[in-house]
Amino acid sequence: MFSAVESLMRTVKSLSRDPMGFLGLGLVVMFLLMAMLAPLISPFDPLKINVQSKFMEPSLAHWLGTDQLGRDTLSRIIYGSRTALSISLTATGLAGICGLLLGLVAGFGPRWLDNVFVLLFDSISSLPMIMFALAVITVLGPGTGTLIVVIILISAPGYARLIRAQTLTLKNSDFVLAEKSMGASSGRIILLHLLPNVVGPLVIILSMDIPVVIMLEAGLSYLNLGVRPPTPSWGNILYDGYTSIRSSPTLVIAAGAPLVLATLGFTFLGEGLRDALDPKLQLMSLR
Amino acid sequence: MNTQWKTNRRELLKLAGGTLAGLMTVPNMAWSADGDTLRLRIDADLQVLDPKSMIGGLDEIILRCTQISLIRFGDTREGNKTMNWGAEKIEWTSPLTIAFTLRDGLKWTNGFGPVTAEDVKFSYERIAGSDSAWAYQFEKLDHVEVIDARSGIIHLKQPFKPIWVISLPYYGGHIVCKAAVEKVGGSYTTELPAQCGPFLFDKWEQNQKITLIANPDWNGEKSDFSKIEIYIVQDDQAAQLAYEADAFDFTRLAVSAAKQVKAAMPKGAKLIEAQSTRYAWLTINMNSPQLSDLRVRQAIQYAYDGDAVLQGAYDGLTVRAAGVVQPGTNFAREKNHIATRDVEKAKALLAEAGIKDLKLNLVALTDSTTQTIAQIIQSNLGEAGITVEIQPTEDAAYWALGDKTKGDAYKTLELVLMNFAGGIDPTENLLWFRPDQIGIYNWSFFDSKEFEDLYQQGLVEQDDAKRKTIFNRMEDLMEDSGCFIFICFEPYLAIHDDNLQPVILADGHPNPTMFKKV
Repeated sequence: MFSAVESLMRTVKSLSRDPMGFLGLGLVVMFLLMAMLAPLISPFDPLKINVQSKFMEPSLAHWLGTDQLGRDTLSRIIYGSRTALSISLTATGLAGICGLLLGLVAGFGPRWLDNVFVLLFDSISSLPMIMFALAVITVLGPGTGTLIVVIILISAPGYARLIRAQTLTLKNSDFVLAEKSMGASSGRIILLHLLPNVVGPLVIILSMDIPVVIMLEAGLSYLNLGVRPPTPSWGNILYDGYTSIRSSPTLVIAAGAPLVLATLGFTFLGEGLRDALDPKLQLMSLR
Repeated sequence: MNTQWKTNRRELLKLAGGTLAGLMTVPNMAWSADGDTLRLRIDADLQVLDPKSMIGGLDEIILRCTQISLIRFGDTREGNKTMNWGAEKIEWTSPLTIAFTLRDGLKWTNGFGPVTAEDVKFSYERIAGSDSAWAYQFEKLDHVEVIDARSGIIHLKQPFKPIWVISLPYYGGHIVCKAAVEKVGGSYTTELPAQCGPFLFDKWEQNQKITLIANPDWNGEKSDFSKIEIYIVQDDQAAQLAYEADAFDFTRLAVSAAKQVKAAMPKGAKLIEAQSTRYAWLTINMNSPQLSDLRVRQAIQYAYDGDAVLQGAYDGLTVRAAGVVQPGTNFAREKNHIATRDVEKAKALLAEAGIKDLKLNLVALTDSTTQTIAQIIQSNLGEAGITVEIQPTEDAAYWALGDKTKGDAYKTLELVLMNFAGGIDPTENLLWFRPDQIGIYNWSFFDSKEFEDLYQQGLVEQDDAKRKTIFNRMEDLMEDSGCFIFICFEPYLAIHDDNLQPVILADGHPNPTMFKKV
């Protein structure tokens, strides 16, 4: 426990020495707080329609104006962060767990099982991402649940391949062979020896994939294939903005800005974490 | 021989100039519109070009160019006047007969010879009494008598004056070549077996563009253009931007664009603002188990906020409809029975029906106006305790939903936002709600014998005052069934080059053959 806290502190300290990583951390924390405190900080109900106040310019009452149904844009952006982060974190997390389990089984299991899994991973990875997403949505119907399923199906094979490669390298290492010779079960070897060694790179990849998922969610919502109205999503706010870009450009800017910032934040944080956690880079910095 | 390649500025300019000139000679890569080409934008691709089974929209626009009808309409803004087209002479000879003589020199393509009265007979009789969506147009047709190659008499079962404006000018009234249609097995989809019109179907680039070229054998009134390009752009906003970038000469606009376009009219453009015959309503399917109780359907009617929809989706440019007959016309109904919103009444009706936590699915097309209406309705019904999930649906999938030939999905639809291009005679707008349209275009399962009887009376009644009473009663029945919320007749908004004089027909679609250069 002590070493985990120590490791975390070391990572944060390392991040603080990297300006971009620190900026990323700041942005991510900001969006996390925005999502968690949405009901407290939103000035208006994001779903409340008031057509008499549609397309209002930014003002003291409505800092980012209103949309085509008179809903407060700032409130929808704040609640949109909830949608973006809940979907991206849930989907990426679940995809990571699936990838981890499948990769460990493929790498440590018998050869024939490995071949089956590799064939499966490669088959899914070979499908064009957007086409595959559209096909799944057509079958299951649009919605938040479908979106999460789509993201898991798209991402998990990549993670599984990464874990499998790590596992294949580690399974013939001396400490694993020693455990085997002492009669340790496969479960014990996987859980106590392989898992802690393969999870680090996965965490870095997951953090760097979060912005991709945020963009995918926004893209599919923009196409009316993601989050259903009236739930605020940066993607569907962007779509509403697009349809009225000539009369009210504020909406597009307001929805585009958090997308850009969230993407930059998670990307910088991911890169910062990679630098902080990579032992080779740490070694180089010590030299 | 010196084969050394020398590059200098002059050579480079020469090469660029030569390449540019070469590219300009390739028609598809021309950088500016040819003055003889009319470029229109339509929002959905063609589906079926056989008049018997066409859907409408672009199908109909193409047929206006490639097929003839006995008569045709003029611009709806000039009173929907009819004029001879394929017919040299056509007149009522009695309340039950119309005599016609085809123009001389009308010729089918693909070597099928001249257009004959036999073709007219075949075209009308194949639709009458069939399962075609346009069969209503020939419901009172008894038969077509062929007198000679170019003359015939249309015989009706009962006096039916609306045939002149419902059937003869367009849709089912397009004449097809009997020999050609029989040769392809009696029906066709996207390949016209024989054409006779001012233009010929030249090229179809799916979901992108249709090209029509002038028919060299056409001996009738010539168009001002030798080529028509119809671009498929679903999104109104994209179309507006494309228009401003000079990609088209004519496009319809979203109603929401009115204010912005008026405030900053593009140079050399003209705006058309008119009342359209396109009527919008909310279908409430009484066949759905959740909506089988009249009180639940009425609760939806009471929860609906008509003013919010008109303001939010149409910028207040139109008024609430009290039926499917155009407001402001002689036959229009004065007002709805449930004209004002009453959320408490809606809640009370739901409680009385013992309904709690009602969840309904609302199918809506993906265009911005329909999506805006859907979200307002979602919010309205939410206030009455009804949760609505919006299902945005693309055009092709949408029309399959209520089609009984495409599975059983039509039986369990719940709420659907619909809009149809209407006609001139009220019967054209009312007929879609007849019992025999269930599973075709009547998606609410509204099944009223009285409605059908009144419809039949309305077809043959000659007295306008009596017709008004009939049509108003039909709309009462529709509203009282709880199956409909009448939204409005949509405003028509289009933009075009100011050196062009477009012609819009009563159904809200253009007739490109009548567009003029000014």
